[in-house]
Amino acid sequence: MNLFFFLMSILYGILKFLHIDFVPFTSHGYPIGLWIAYLIVAVVEVILVFVLAMLVVIILIYVFRKYMADVQNRIGPNRLGPWGSLQLIADVFKLIQKQDLIPTAADKTAFRVAPYLVFTPVVIGFMMIPFGNVSLLNLMVINFNYTILFLVATMIISPVGEIIGGLASHNKYGMLGALRAAAQDMSYEVPMLISLISVIILAGSFNAQDIVIAQRHIPFVVPEFLGFIIFFLAVLGKQVFPPFDLPESASELVSGYNTEYSGMRYGIFYMGGFAGTALASLVIATIYFGGWEGPIFPGTIWLIIKAGVFMLIFLLIQVSVFRVRVDQFLDMGWKYLLPLSIVNLFISVGFALFAGGVF
Amino acid sequence: MQDKIVEVNFGPQHPSTHGVLRVKVKLDGEVIVDAQPVIGYLHRNAEKLSEMGYYPKAQIYVDRLDYAAALNMELGFVLSAEKLMDIQVPDRALWIRMMMVELNRIASHFIWLGTHGLDMGMLSPFFYCFREREKVFRILDEITGSRLLYNYFAIGGVYSDVTPKSLEMIKTWLSDFDKNLTEIENIFKKSYIYVARTRGTGKLSLDDTISYGVTGPMLRAAGKKWDLRKNRPYLHYDQINFDVPSQQAGDVYARMLVRIEEMHQSARIVAQVLEKLPAGDFYNKKYSKPMLVRIKATGESYIPTESPKGEFGIYLVGDGSAIPYRFRIRSPSFANLSAAPAMLIGYKIADMTATLSSMDPVFGEVDR
Repeated sequence: MNLFFFLMSILYGILKFLHIDFVPFTSHGYPIGLWIAYLIVAVVEVILVFVLAMLVVIILIYVFRKYMADVQNRIGPNRLGPWGSLQLIADVFKLIQKQDLIPTAADKTAFRVAPYLVFTPVVIGFMMIPFGNVSLLNLMVINFNYTILFLVATMIISPVGEIIGGLASHNKYGMLGALRAAAQDMSYEVPMLISLISVIILAGSFNAQDIVIAQRHIPFVVPEFLGFIIFFLAVLGKQVFPPFDLPESASELVSGYNTEYSGMRYGIFYMGGFAGTALASLVIATIYFGGWEGPIFPGTIWLIIKAGVFMLIFLLIQVSVFRVRVDQFLDMGWKYLLPLSIVNLFISVGFALFAGGVF
Repeated sequence: MQDKIVEVNFGPQHPSTHGVLRVKVKLDGEVIVDAQPVIGYLHRNAEKLSEMGYYPKAQIYVDRLDYAAALNMELGFVLSAEKLMDIQVPDRALWIRMMMVELNRIASHFIWLGTHGLDMGMLSPFFYCFREREKVFRILDEITGSRLLYNYFAIGGVYSDVTPKSLEMIKTWLSDFDKNLTEIENIFKKSYIYVARTRGTGKLSLDDTISYGVTGPMLRAAGKKWDLRKNRPYLHYDQINFDVPSQQAGDVYARMLVRIEEMHQSARIVAQVLEKLPAGDFYNKKYSKPMLVRIKATGESYIPTESPKGEFGIYLVGDGSAIPYRFRIRSPSFANLSAAPAMLIGYKIADMTATLSSMDPVFGEVDR
């Protein structure tokens, strides 16, 4: 049973108890209380997911700053709040205060829209992560048959925001960054999707919840190790930090696609990047490491542990590697990841045909 | 075809131009088809200003040429002025100078290594390098009284003697210097990405290197074992054992190897100076204070020295007064930068930051 319908039915019961319920004269014939309950639950859940995503981003940025400082022999934020934990809040307020600067030559509508195109899909992606399974209740905001496909679509759409932002700002560095984002985007997405298809073949379903349940005996990382490596590298290519932060690459293209962005628009790009890291970790944990499946602890805790490990791995990579050159990344995508992912697809088909009963 | 080419002004405000370099780049996609460095954004008229006062007064301008290695700049000036005025320098001062210059060379190369890592997209080595550089600065601060611009050497000696405490500090620092540096250099040498990006990048053949007048680590990385400390010894470099590192490839990776080996060798020199440091005066007692030399000089002099960036020297002409008639600076970064188009054209824009940073230009010295 879905969380959405669970909450909705509770609310509908309350509304019925309060006698806010009559069948209006419409062709649908649903009681009006059901509509109200539907609307309220939808709004509340969207707000909840947004708060959850922001919370994850805030914690991740704080951990990132402290961790990075630790690696680099620094102290990191330590003034605001206990152990500097309120630094990000202060940063956000500072960014909001700043002058809203749009270059004269920029395409203003596209310039305004671009940051949200990066950030919003990630928040939508959070809605399709299965956070657990309490008896018959799916802890999942949206549950339909093609969840995992839609989830990956939200991950893939965000470079479009980078391209639009870079091209709209009418800046040569922005343009170069946008072109890099486009080239990079294509080279990692194809292997990423093909390795995802392998998982779908093994699980026999497009539903994220079903994929998690299919891993109750063996996580998919075991039969799909090659696919996991490909997916991990592809997801790493999506992140906004070294080694694959080519569209941004601070030392080459000033700041790439977000060169002209300042104030809160830049802040949204920044937070969108970290939300993307969090979402990518959750997706990896869900489709390769069994999501919320695990003994003793409740499922949600297992998911947080698994995703948290991946977030830390991403942070570790970020502080300890150089940046690759753009042609080297494209080589990696097209020459190695794509053929390997096709090989992996055949391996998965073999697994599904001859050892399908295991999963 | 023409409209595919984009012209980009790389700098002067750009995070990885090490100051105020501007490169007019023409790009075909990501490939550089033309690159012209434009300089002069930090021009301070150092040569003419130096010709307006007594000889010792020029030293503060010389300090500010290569601010990353100010003592090396001072050495070039002081040696040249002493030759012009025919001043004898006590032995102890020469050894102290040698030690200070090598310490400053290490500090300068640390800045280079850190910013090179930054240009290659990794933030962490920057902090490690600045931590190590800080240790050198503590020593220099103890001896000279300042951290970046020292004004410490003087015509006829050095401004103050080294204290026993500072010698102890150097000994402690030397004991783990090699270990710390090896840790940092392994970040570069053992990184697959770094090696893949820098091997074969920014290549300059030995013939080109010589014809552009490129000196210093870039020349040694191209295959020529040429170090003025060995080939034209000044101070007491002929009494000291050290190797001149050289590589054959002439690319960014080779320059990194050469510079890092130079730091190890500099530490070796400092250790030997500590053993051999003689007692005696630290400046020529004929002059009451080293900074106040008012000597009339005639003739011309030029002593090339090996600064961290290459051959540095000051050509002095005296007309019989106490003020230099001509004060010409031979700055290595300026000559090295002239080879930039040859190293950039044909490579990608991502290689550009790597190549520019491997040249280690300091704009106080380029623009003077």
